[in-house]
Amino acid sequence: MMSKFRHFSLQFKISSIYIVTNILVVMVNIFLIIGINSMSGRLDTVYQDNRHLNQFSDAVNALQSSMTDYLNVKTSDSLENYYRSEALCRNMAAELNEEVTRQSFDRMERNIRHMTERYLEEVAQTIEAKRGRNVEKYRAHYENATRMYGYIGTYISNLNMEQFRSNSERYSELQQRFRFFEAVSVIAIVLVMFSNVCIIISFVGALIRPLRRLAGQADEVAKGNFEIELLPVESQDEVGVVTGAFNSMVVSIGRYIERIRESMEAERALKERELLMEGHLKDARLKYLQAQINPHFLFNTLNAGAQLAMMEGADRTYDYIQKVAQFYRYNMKKSEETVTVAEEVEMVDSYIYILNVRFAGDIHYEKHIDESLLQMEMPGMILQPIVENCVNHGIREMGDKGVILLSLYEKDGRVCISVKDNGVGMSRETIDKVMSGTYREEDMAAGGNGVGMDNVISRMRLFTGNENVMNVKSEGEGMGTEVCIYL
Amino acid sequence: MAGYILWFYKGSFQEETAGETYDRYYMMIMQEDQSGFWQSVYQGAYERALQENVYVDWLGKDSFRDYGVEEQMEIAIASGVDGIIVTAGETEEMTAWINRADAADIPVVTLYGDNTQSARCSFVGVGSYNLGREYGRQALKIMRERRIGTQERPAKVTLLVNPFANSLDQNILYSGIQETIEQERGDTAVELSQQSVDDTNAFSVEESVRDLFMGEDIPDILICLNELNTTCAYQAVVDYNKVGTVSILGHYVSDTILNAIDRNVIYATVNIDTAQMGAFCIDALQEYHDLGYTSQYFTADINLITRDNVEEYLRGEESENDE
Repeated sequence: MMSKFRHFSLQFKISSIYIVTNILVVMVNIFLIIGINSMSGRLDTVYQDNRHLNQFSDAVNALQSSMTDYLNVKTSDSLENYYRSEALCRNMAAELNEEVTRQSFDRMERNIRHMTERYLEEVAQTIEAKRGRNVEKYRAHYENATRMYGYIGTYISNLNMEQFRSNSERYSELQQRFRFFEAVSVIAIVLVMFSNVCIIISFVGALIRPLRRLAGQADEVAKGNFEIELLPVESQDEVGVVTGAFNSMVVSIGRYIERIRESMEAERALKERELLMEGHLKDARLKYLQAQINPHFLFNTLNAGAQLAMMEGADRTYDYIQKVAQFYRYNMKKSEETVTVAEEVEMVDSYIYILNVRFAGDIHYEKHIDESLLQMEMPGMILQPIVENCVNHGIREMGDKGVILLSLYEKDGRVCISVKDNGVGMSRETIDKVMSGTYREEDMAAGGNGVGMDNVISRMRLFTGNENVMNVKSEGEGMGTEVCIYL
Repeated sequence: MAGYILWFYKGSFQEETAGETYDRYYMMIMQEDQSGFWQSVYQGAYERALQENVYVDWLGKDSFRDYGVEEQMEIAIASGVDGIIVTAGETEEMTAWINRADAADIPVVTLYGDNTQSARCSFVGVGSYNLGREYGRQALKIMRERRIGTQERPAKVTLLVNPFANSLDQNILYSGIQETIEQERGDTAVELSQQSVDDTNAFSVEESVRDLFMGEDIPDILICLNELNTTCAYQAVVDYNKVGTVSILGHYVSDTILNAIDRNVIYATVNIDTAQMGAFCIDALQEYHDLGYTSQYFTADINLITRDNVEEYLRGEESENDE
């Protein structure tokens, strides 16, 4: 029944709720009206017995008086009256009860009926004797009839009284019942109203529930969650149709989004491959260059050169080549390792020596070293690039007036390595660019060993875990530059 | 709701239906007052009648209380009943009415008082002669206990008779008393007399009994033949302070009479099995209807209640009242 009901349209459902509840109300009202009608009908008939009895009594009285009248005057009118009354009386007596029951009324009625029959006989005989002018006979019959008439009267009034008493009781009982019926009716109406409210609430709730669920799910979808559980389609009404449509919409939107994601994914992969290709290209180029300057090859070559110089007795050449070889070896080994400050200082010493050989001792190199700090650890390939920068940008053009001062000291609880030159100096903008890592040297590949200042800064930051690792100071153009590294 | 409607219509329907019907319908006509004695007789008849699927009405009880026995006979005959039980008497008028009923095919049973001349089918009563003998014996017992009845002052025994009741029965009863006293008195001198009690109108019995005590000739023993006389005599004895000097032999059993026996005011009372009496009336009519004849006489059992056995009757009354 319920499952069938689900397949009907919303309009049908709502209409049927109204119809059902209204039918309930109408039915209760009909029952109540029937009850009230029957009750009032019975109230009307309570004293009907008394009325019938009175009518019967009237008929007997009429018969008696018509008989007396006939005996008195013997007119045809009175005879006609007699016949009419006699017939009426006989008919009414025939309607009286014949059975003997436990009810005293019934027995009294029965006795009245029999007595009336006897009375009618006596009256008939009286009339007959009167017509035959048999004076004695009709007098005797008249007396009998009159006595009988008296008994009937007594019986009727007794019965009337008894019936009245009983009917009065019945009347008050009926009245009580009426009151009770009234109370029951009020309760029934309230109950029906209550059940109607319940029916409407439950039916409307059942109709609205899928809509509410649908709204909840729609809200979820609006928030971007397409992973919702699909709503079951419980009914075939409009709500069911909308739910079905919503479900398929959610499914197709989900699929669409999935397709877009897939295509975006493919595009990204394509781009990644392109970038990878580019990287590989660069890598290949680098490998090629590296192969050309294979440090082992260079190192071995330099060693061979040093041995040759030693065999030829050229000590300075041997020394020089030895320092160059040492420089390259350090470069090769220590570029990614942690080293001691002493090793770094030694590296700077070798570098300056090589440069001084190259440029015939133009650079004046001084050191102020706190020996106790030489065993501190630091990343490799830090000082050499800084010194290289000083030489390349600071004092290259100064000939033999260029001075580089390397200091190692402790200040404010931090170890500081300072590289200072007396070169061209740096503008504020350049210093800022260097510090922010945006400064790019155009000829980086041509002169240096490829390790830029930004690389130095970032490695120092990584090593110390501190942002403040380097400070570049310059008094201005031609006033020299000082680079301080804090360990 | 539907249940309520059903209940409602069921209730109203039941109200309209009449009870079961009965095969025969008898009428009981009793001239006497509506004392417990007659109510008990009617109750006995009523219960037996119901067993036989017969209904018996006491005509004079409600509807025709002020009508005489003869008038009630006429009403019963005119009502076309199946049988009449009547406390008759030996009057010609009663004989005529019984005969008229018989002519209308209505059998008549006379109760307590007979009408021997009529065409009644049966008589139900107590053996008046035996009853008289019992009264006589009890009177002699009283005389012996009280040591009265010397030749100088014979014991005065007065029988209260109702002049309008069945005189023959009372005569038989009187002769029963008389014969017993004559036979068994020995040396005791007894003066037996009858005293009429006026029961012609409503309250005359009580006055009549009291008159007896106002006079000079107050009896030593007073024999009463019905409940009313017994109760009135008892009250008069108490009122005139004659307890001990006037002994009462009563009739029927009521609370008042039993209490009076218990207090030694009434010496003894005769109890007639009234229920049996009523039942005999119905039996007689039923038998007559079924067979066309029945016994001419039915005699109800009598027993005597004295101080010796009054306890059990009092207990019986109490338990009945408790019910």
